[in-house]
Amino acid sequence: MPRIIREAEISWEGNVARGTGAISAASSSAFSGLPYTAATRIGIPEGKTSPEELLAAAHGGCFTMSLASELSKAGTPPERLDVRCVVTMDEVEGKGHQIVHSQIEAHGTVPDCDEAAFAQAAEAADASCPFSALIRASATVSVSATLSL
Amino acid sequence: MATERRMSTTWHGTLMEGAGTIHEAGSGAFGALDVSWASRAEASNGKTSPEELIAAAHSSCFAMALSHGLAQAGTPAERLDTSATVTFVPGEGITKIALSVRGSVPGIDAAAFVAAAEGAKVGCPVSKALAAVPEITLDAALA
Repeated sequence: MPRIIREAEISWEGNVARGTGAISAASSSAFSGLPYTAATRIGIPEGKTSPEELLAAAHGGCFTMSLASELSKAGTPPERLDVRCVVTMDEVEGKGHQIVHSQIEAHGTVPDCDEAAFAQAAEAADASCPFSALIRASATVSVSATLSL
Repeated sequence: MATERRMSTTWHGTLMEGAGTIHEAGSGAFGALDVSWASRAEASNGKTSPEELIAAAHSSCFAMALSHGLAQAGTPAERLDTSATVTFVPGEGITKIALSVRGSVPGIDAAAFVAAAEGAKVGCPVSKALAAVPEITLDAALA
């Protein structure tokens, strides 16, 4: 299989307490110059993104594509999937700040698929999503899946 | 105290032919971003992907950790330029992340800067979460 390469660039000025960084998508240019700071990473975001928010976007985006793939493989391609991902960082005694949890909630409109089959596809998506496997190095991953009416 | 960050994605259709949207960031920092399998696996055509977002998360976490380490060592950085390049092989997963940094840091020598960068590479929370990536490399030098 071909290797796929994606790059992001950051510039940071100043110390961690008072400095500011800027985050840019170097491969796609889909976003650029997103500011981030230590205070808004830990506390209220005040309109600024953070590594954890980007991880939530990455994990949610990756899981969603895996779920679309699993449902198609099962012969029940989705009409629509809505997936929410919440990433939690916490201070762990003796280990400093860690990504401790990623919580995924999937809702789907999937013709001819029942709740049990949808839950099974979500479990398979968690197993096949490359990011779900990786983040388990420091975090627990929870997945809930329900069909939309 | 735990910090939570939330994102939502909507997808329509199959993986190969469908398309998705990563919705506006919970923080409000960026608006909706389109994603598709073709732009994830082939030319990006201006669309982001989970791998690019991981690169953004990792390089931003690394920069912040390095800034902290340098300040603690009594040599705060004036400016750090970092990047992360994520390699993804479909069917295999994320096989490599290459971190790079160029720093403007008054009063530090090259060896001490490289040592601080190695510390940030090992210690930043995103590095710890991605510790299972088979290869994480670092290219660190003073600007």
